[in-house]
Amino acid sequence: MYGVEYRRASSVAEALQLLESNPDAKLLAGGQSLIAAMKLRLSAPSMLVDLGALKELGAIAVSDTSVTLGAMVRHAQVAESSEICTAIPALSSLAKGVGDHMVRNMGTIGGSVANNDPAADYPSALLALDALVKTTKRAIAAEDFFLGMYETALEPGEIIVSIRLRNPARARYMKFKNPASRFAMVGVFIADFGDESRVAVTGAASSVFRVAEMEAALSRNFDAASLDGISISPNDLASDLHSQADYRAHLIEVLARRAVIDMTEAAASA
Amino acid sequence: MRDEICEIFSVNSTAELPTVGIEASEVRDSRYIGKPLLRPEDKKLLTGRGRYVDDVQLPNMVWCAFVRSPHSHALMNSISTDAASKAPGVLRVITAEDWAAAGMGELTVVHPMPFSDGRPMNAATRPVFASNKVNHVGDIIAAVVATTRVEAQNAVEMVEVDYEELPSVTDVAKALDTDAPLVHEQFGSNAVFEVHKGDEAAVLDALAKAYKVVELPLCSNRIGANPIEPRSYACSYDESDDRYTLYACSQQPHYLRRWLAVYALFIPEHKLQVISPNVGGSFGVKGNFPVEVATVVWASKLVGRPVKWTATRSESMMSDTQARDHFTLAKMGFDKDGHIVGMYVDTMAALGAYLSNFAPSIPGNSYPQTVTGLYKTPKVFLRVRGVYTNTIPVDAYRGSGRPEATWVNERLVENGARELGINVVELRKRNLIGPEDFPYKTLISRTYDSGNPPLLLEKLLDIAQYEKLLEQQRAARAQGKLMGIGLACFLDKAGTGPSANLASRGGLHGGYETAVIRVHSDGKVSLFAGTHCHGQGHQITYAAIAAERMGIDITHIHVVEGDTDRIPFGNGTWGGRSVSVAGTAILKAANEIMLKVRRIASHVLKCGDSQLVYSTSEFKSPDGKSIGFAAIADLAYHGANLPVDAGFTPGLEATSFYDPPDSNDPQAMHLAVVEIDKDTGVVSIKKYFTADDCGNLINPMIVEGQVHGGLAQGIGQALMENIVYDDNSGQLTTGSFMDYAMPRADSMPPLKSTFIQTPAPSNPLGAKGASESGTIGAPAAIGNAVVDALWHLGVRHITMPITSEKVWRAMRSVRN
Repeated sequence: MYGVEYRRASSVAEALQLLESNPDAKLLAGGQSLIAAMKLRLSAPSMLVDLGALKELGAIAVSDTSVTLGAMVRHAQVAESSEICTAIPALSSLAKGVGDHMVRNMGTIGGSVANNDPAADYPSALLALDALVKTTKRAIAAEDFFLGMYETALEPGEIIVSIRLRNPARARYMKFKNPASRFAMVGVFIADFGDESRVAVTGAASSVFRVAEMEAALSRNFDAASLDGISISPNDLASDLHSQADYRAHLIEVLARRAVIDMTEAAASA
Repeated sequence: MRDEICEIFSVNSTAELPTVGIEASEVRDSRYIGKPLLRPEDKKLLTGRGRYVDDVQLPNMVWCAFVRSPHSHALMNSISTDAASKAPGVLRVITAEDWAAAGMGELTVVHPMPFSDGRPMNAATRPVFASNKVNHVGDIIAAVVATTRVEAQNAVEMVEVDYEELPSVTDVAKALDTDAPLVHEQFGSNAVFEVHKGDEAAVLDALAKAYKVVELPLCSNRIGANPIEPRSYACSYDESDDRYTLYACSQQPHYLRRWLAVYALFIPEHKLQVISPNVGGSFGVKGNFPVEVATVVWASKLVGRPVKWTATRSESMMSDTQARDHFTLAKMGFDKDGHIVGMYVDTMAALGAYLSNFAPSIPGNSYPQTVTGLYKTPKVFLRVRGVYTNTIPVDAYRGSGRPEATWVNERLVENGARELGINVVELRKRNLIGPEDFPYKTLISRTYDSGNPPLLLEKLLDIAQYEKLLEQQRAARAQGKLMGIGLACFLDKAGTGPSANLASRGGLHGGYETAVIRVHSDGKVSLFAGTHCHGQGHQITYAAIAAERMGIDITHIHVVEGDTDRIPFGNGTWGGRSVSVAGTAILKAANEIMLKVRRIASHVLKCGDSQLVYSTSEFKSPDGKSIGFAAIADLAYHGANLPVDAGFTPGLEATSFYDPPDSNDPQAMHLAVVEIDKDTGVVSIKKYFTADDCGNLINPMIVEGQVHGGLAQGIGQALMENIVYDDNSGQLTTGSFMDYAMPRADSMPPLKSTFIQTPAPSNPLGAKGASESGTIGAPAAIGNAVVDALWHLGVRHITMPITSEKVWRAMRSVRN
């Protein structure tokens, strides 16, 4: 790690001011990606602006229609919140499966989505749950937020304040873990809103994406049989050491089907 | 020797030696041997109070960091250290030029492997600093010594090297292609050595006449040990007495001292103390001559301050020696009844860009010795070619040559049985060496000392409830589930000796071990051994041997290892040798102590030696007088009332150097039960069974732990671990745990282990090596289980690591 100046912001306004006056400063949320990159000297910010003290970014609000999470809400909080578990159980289970205990205790939803790691879990939830990312400047629909590998719609000097996720009638997140990193090699988040279904995939490409054909089929009839005949093209999917694109495409099909079966079986037995 | 074992196991005749089972009751009347005693060091090690090299803080200590090659193969047109030398905190920058100017030596190869036609191997030892050319990613170009670690790392980035990249070869199978780039041009080839063993014509003839011949390409994936503790060295030089103190994580502190002193830095051995404190995992990777340590020692004198280097994890992955990396084409012929008639093995073994010091003998000597395993293979021919590739050097890693051999032998046997339509257990039974065949002379290697493979198989099938497993498999298959059962039967090789045998192969070290038993004046004991404990529980095991023999309380013994100023010259811990070799040295020292103790007792109690009865640390004479062990120790040091025999001396201390007359041949069999997700190809190990014969067990709990720990690593090789270099650039693709998959707790299946105990004839404890069987058998057992699960679909083979993607592709290829 190179030397770095550390500042603990006491307000969002102060954080914004520090960012403005230090162009090479970076925000420190949970630090679970940034600190690791700094230790490897892959990232060398001049200053770290720690958001850890900002209670205003740490709220959890659950209503009948949505779950709103402050940017600094830790994965462990999401995993442990009974209110969230009642409103969107799939979100709880996703949070329980992020990284390890240390990552979950420190890592935040704001940090995760701002980083937009192509294999991160949360972006798929945001996309499938029709989320709205509220920043210090505006509100951005998830659809418009994730632009590409490690790339988001956030502008310099813009801080995520909170994330509002729409409560689905039912949802599931299925993750196929990379055997080494245990990030998602493929993660599929399916949400059924009754009148509409959304299917979001992470880990498989340069950034999270939706699968329109599956969404249309499931919106017509939410049943695994609806997915018959839908094949995912490997063309834009990632190929790496752990999986070629065609295997990832296959895994998307398998995981989507399993998620739907799991949801419909749960409904049948309820 | 038989008398000694009878005495220590308190049995009356050799016919009654325990041979089966590990129940403590079977080691009759023993207090400690054969008992599952807890390791006293656990409390310290498991509560974070161990002291490792990186914990060593010396006054005024400074840091060393290394400039490493980012290229797999490149010429260095120039190296400029000017900016780095002037960087804040920098005390010294060292390069190959400085090393040569100071007249320093080189890292040595202690186990050479000549060509079979007598030519010496093409030896390029690992340089301390590369000059002119780098040959692998991580090759060291310069060292920076600075007052802090960050300053040293900052200055590393300021060393400017003008590289001219060269084409590289990292794939072992391509290393001898005529158009392959040469790692060392002076040899005209990438061959290090080529050995032939056995009669090629006879094997080809047997295969031509065989009823069935199975042929398979068999790759042993390149893997790394990845101990939790990264390698670390800290050295101080004291000018006032011209003496170095080196703290090093090392499995063999005396070897390290000798290598540094005799081959690299030319320091008189009495001027260099090597201390190897707690070590957080070694597995062989801390057993060779590491390239960084010579620099740390030398730099401590150059800068006049203690110097430390601790590898970062990224650095470990590009500098720790790696392992395996074989490409083999092999054939096995069978008669119509499934008897093996011949085996032909052609192996290329990567040794990396340079020879690490044990490397050549692993594929050249260890691998051939176990390639026919536990089967009566009447004809065998083996060709092994060691090759250079532009990769990090390869050296010993738990198993060393035997996992590679077992993978070859057991995959061929498995497919042979299947293609012949003979049950895989039945075919193995038909070929196993029987108990009556021992000592069993093999065609191309040693004579196996003792064993009972058919009984081992029986015990394995028994604990696995094999028939029930077959029923479950039939039921699973009827439901469309893919369940597989895989076996591996194999031979280990441990306790290498005698020393002269090693020397006859050109080995530059001994196979003996040493012990000093120092009974203090209060009867308590310090036991010094030349081995090194890095997780094997030597304290309790060694103390059990000594306490049993001396009839004293086990808590009265403290074991000391890992400090060249305190322990006698030892060969260290590697290759499953500590109990059979050091344990015997301890036993012999204890014998010597007891002779003296008995003589003093007979003198004090005024009765004949043979009339004394010794029990619960006390000698009793027929007339009812007694004297205890502690009182005798007191007399021995007081010196006032000792026997006046010629040569009888005060004190109570014995030193033993024990050279084993032979190696020993532990044997084991594994059975893996796997389930394969037919949609994703994911292999889950549902159950795992092991049966080991490692001779007499001193501490069965520790032995079982050794089997389990080895299994974790064997499962890693089988299913996930894989070091990958980019085929074009030669870059190390798996440079972090983001890409190199390690087994974790949830990778471990439920395990069940059993043991038979066929005593090793070559040592009085009857002990055989017990530490490596987990890594040796697991790849083959798991591979065979996967093939079993998929055979009916048409899948005939699978390569390691057996990832879900590979299994999915294998299933898809037979469907289409």
